[in-house]
Amino acid sequence: MITVALPKGALLTESIELLQSIGLDFSAFLNPANRQLQIFDPTYTAKALLVRTQDVPVYVEYGQAQLGIVGYDVLREKQPQVAHLVDLQFGRCRMSVAVKKSSPYRSAIELPLYGRVASKFVHCAHEYFQTLDLEVEIVPLYGSVELGPITSMSEAIVDLVATGRTLQENGLIEIEVLFESTARLIAHPLSYRLNQDDLHGAIEQLRSRVGDRLILNK
Amino acid sequence: MVYQPPVGAKDLFPLDVAQKRWIEDRLQQVFHGWGYHRIITSTLERLDTLMAGGAVQRSTVLQLQDRDDEALGLRPELTASIARAAATRMAGVTCPQRFYYNANVFRRANRGDFKRQQEFYQAGVELLGAGGVGADAEVLLLLADCVTNLGLSDWFLVLGDAGLTRSLLSAFPDSQREPVRRAIAHLNRMQLETLPLSPELKARALFLFDLRGRPEDVLQQVSSLDLDATQHATVNTLKALIELLQASFTREHQVAPSLVLDLSLIQTFDYYTGIVFEAISSHASGQRILAQGGRYDQLLGLYHPQGMTSPGIGFTFNIEDLHQVLLPTEQLPQDTPPSDWLVVPTTASAYAAAFAYAQTIRDATPAMRVEVELNGVASADAIRLSARDRRIRQIAWISADAAPELEALAD
Repeated sequence: MITVALPKGALLTESIELLQSIGLDFSAFLNPANRQLQIFDPTYTAKALLVRTQDVPVYVEYGQAQLGIVGYDVLREKQPQVAHLVDLQFGRCRMSVAVKKSSPYRSAIELPLYGRVASKFVHCAHEYFQTLDLEVEIVPLYGSVELGPITSMSEAIVDLVATGRTLQENGLIEIEVLFESTARLIAHPLSYRLNQDDLHGAIEQLRSRVGDRLILNK
Repeated sequence: MVYQPPVGAKDLFPLDVAQKRWIEDRLQQVFHGWGYHRIITSTLERLDTLMAGGAVQRSTVLQLQDRDDEALGLRPELTASIARAAATRMAGVTCPQRFYYNANVFRRANRGDFKRQQEFYQAGVELLGAGGVGADAEVLLLLADCVTNLGLSDWFLVLGDAGLTRSLLSAFPDSQREPVRRAIAHLNRMQLETLPLSPELKARALFLFDLRGRPEDVLQQVSSLDLDATQHATVNTLKALIELLQASFTREHQVAPSLVLDLSLIQTFDYYTGIVFEAISSHASGQRILAQGGRYDQLLGLYHPQGMTSPGIGFTFNIEDLHQVLLPTEQLPQDTPPSDWLVVPTTASAYAAAFAYAQTIRDATPAMRVEVELNGVASADAIRLSARDRRIRQIAWISADAAPELEALAD
């Protein structure tokens, strides 16, 4: 039986819709009364695990889930050993550097040497400033990263930006884009090679649904 | 202060050792049965020896400095050591040479890995000085025999051909070949799709990315490509090997693996020159690589003073992974073996007689396990209780002058 790891939060609804389109119904996870973390689809052909988005690649890397849906930002941050298979095209956002609007900085390279950058994505932030050859101190935070510049703890943040509203409402502006992110379909490498339970068939169905949707949207 | 083992180190207690030995004995029986001989090489190697083949990265080696400032490392695998040891001695010995090993290896954990193990155990074989379908088949059948002898079923043999795949990649321009190979090796289709390739080359890259499945189907698929004469010959050799394997796997006592031909099974470095393979166990709890290996026909030349190379092929079992897979099957020893006898001196002066009596039992039956009770002050009942706890069934009570009193403990 195929097990899919699904991310709690922003990507969940569209992930469930996509799986529904190939006949796997995990919509029970969307019921606010649901407390179960592991459910079977009503036809008992597949199982889904509901996990934090950062944990999706972990379950897939260890093979407890053969498939997973997760943002590219998480894959860039955690560098898990998983097969990267399909760009699912939803959950579009970008990893950006933002600063206080009132600050003098308008590009990353203008940030002061040994300045502080607050982020949940310490690996991405570190890698980016290393390519700029700019020595900065990365301050790891777990949420409300915008408070870093607001409280003057840090000069800048590296964070995901979808609409830019949160930044705007907190008086921050985006000055650089590190990369674009969308939801990705990932697989456990060994399971992908062994292709039991027609895993490959399910992946190809998902790929073609994503293609159909793209055409529809255009 | 409390002395702790270094991060990633592990101590094996008697039950762990008994289980590890069970696995190693089963493998060794098969290795011996196929005419392989054990080789023991140095745990320490010069760093350049370890890295010569290109498969070992400096960052993964636990390094040491010797007095002459020469960089040394703890071996992360055995093939480099065996190739180094054997390369210079290949002249004058009868080929092929069949070696097996059973040893500890060390890997430095990656940055960010939290307390991952650094010392591992591996057992494997190297067949040196023999090439061709026969040698490839011997090693794969030997691998299958090992899996059978471990009492495992439900396993897959994933077979690739690094030489063939590398040759198929030569269709890509120099600048794109490495990125394409990396993307295929890491199963990163997203990366493959974003490479700046012409439509035909992109199609070919995606074709290679999913070139796996039932051997018959994959052979047919690969034959549909525009192959040159060498590639044709390689495909035919691969076909012959697969037919040989399939004929041999149908033998009744073998637990035949499901054979998957996977021509996307490649590494990012040139180490393997021919077939590459992985033995994978598949259970409800997930899949795990039990053994992996391949053919390396250029490696021995790197260690030979005149660069003379000889073919080589081998595989290695990861003992820890076998242990994890075998634990739920309850084949492994669940307890250390109990002692058969407890010999108890009843007075302080009876120790000489007790040790002498224990020795007579050992001499009479060589496999007997006989303990001498060292806790002289304990009461007879306390001794019986402790014997029962340790699953000892027979007690010999010894006094300095009288005959031993033998007692069998009831269940």
